[in-house]
Amino acid sequence: MAKPRELKRRIRSVQNTKKITKTMELVSTSKLKRAQDRVVGARPYAQALAEVIGQLYSPELAERFPLLRQPGHTGRGAGVRRAALVLITSNRGLCGAFNANLIREARRRLEELEAQDAHTELHLVGKKAISYFKFTKREPASQRVDIGDRPTLEHAAELAKPLMERFANGELDAVDVVFAKFNSAVSTPPTTLRILPITPPEKRRSGGQEATAAVNYILKPSAEEILRQLLPLYVQNQMYRALVETAAAEHGARRTAMKNATDAGSDMLNILQRTFNRARQAQITQELAEIVGGAEALKG
Amino acid sequence: MHVSVISAERSVFDGEADGVVAPAHDGLVGILPHHAPFMTLLGQGIVNISRSGSVTRLQVMGGFLQVASNVVRIVARQAAPANS
Repeated sequence: MAKPRELKRRIRSVQNTKKITKTMELVSTSKLKRAQDRVVGARPYAQALAEVIGQLYSPELAERFPLLRQPGHTGRGAGVRRAALVLITSNRGLCGAFNANLIREARRRLEELEAQDAHTELHLVGKKAISYFKFTKREPASQRVDIGDRPTLEHAAELAKPLMERFANGELDAVDVVFAKFNSAVSTPPTTLRILPITPPEKRRSGGQEATAAVNYILKPSAEEILRQLLPLYVQNQMYRALVETAAAEHGARRTAMKNATDAGSDMLNILQRTFNRARQAQITQELAEIVGGAEALKG
Repeated sequence: MHVSVISAERSVFDGEADGVVAPAHDGLVGILPHHAPFMTLLGQGIVNISRSGSVTRLQVMGGFLQVASNVVRIVARQAAPANS
């Protein structure tokens, strides 16, 4: 059995670690709350944009917008020659398998694209993605670590704009984003979303569709011009949502990881404390036995 | 009529109003209750939402304005309360 002093030392060490994980759990919980508010706050805008684009969209107009250009018409994905993959991860660790899952999804997607003979370039967001691909010696086309857990519209615009321009010029055939979809604090599956070419948003609700189709809008300046303005906003907004949802998912994942760590710490502490008590008791018993033994010996 | 102003980050205004004046891409547009279905691009400027005498002023930029069945929806790239 370990010495009481050694046990004491380990108890203290586990206690300190537990304090840290507990605090990190609390911090993540409050950050998660705020990040979640941002995810919810971004929803009406995305919904409104999607709805309007769905209403204005018609296949005849699609021919005229480079952002809607579908790659190749022969066979599925046959036209994708050059693709870009944007991978969004966190800057910090200690959030369980969160980043590992995202990277795994990105690699799966990469292999899929390369199996189609598409030359794929990587755009990385977050330190975790960068250090992983540095390890695999794959050169990313761009990387950035400055986004952190409060992504703004500007960040999304900076990411989306060059990709949109190159897509419009025909230098890219497809752009995918790998991010963590924020269904709830505990369900954040890594997801691949094709943001370019734009898949026209579906007109939701069959009842609503009839109602909106019946409305003849007065359009100013014209459906075409409105679409021209809104399509880039739509792409940008999808990028923004990917960033915001990943940030929220990161905090969710960290909270879960830290909660598990705190629980594991408590279990460990229990066992250590019990072992320590037993060791102390054994020592006391031993000392008593020695004293009694000594007294007996003196009595002669 | 119901008016909502939505920015990319959050919903900025949501409520009833008697009239809205908004900066469209080519000048101001005024919307009164029961306006015909209407959709236009927004420019940059200040949206005035009036309700029984009081006026809410919001700074907006980009996006669009949509009117349908007495509901006005202003979806702006950026929107924030304007400091008068």
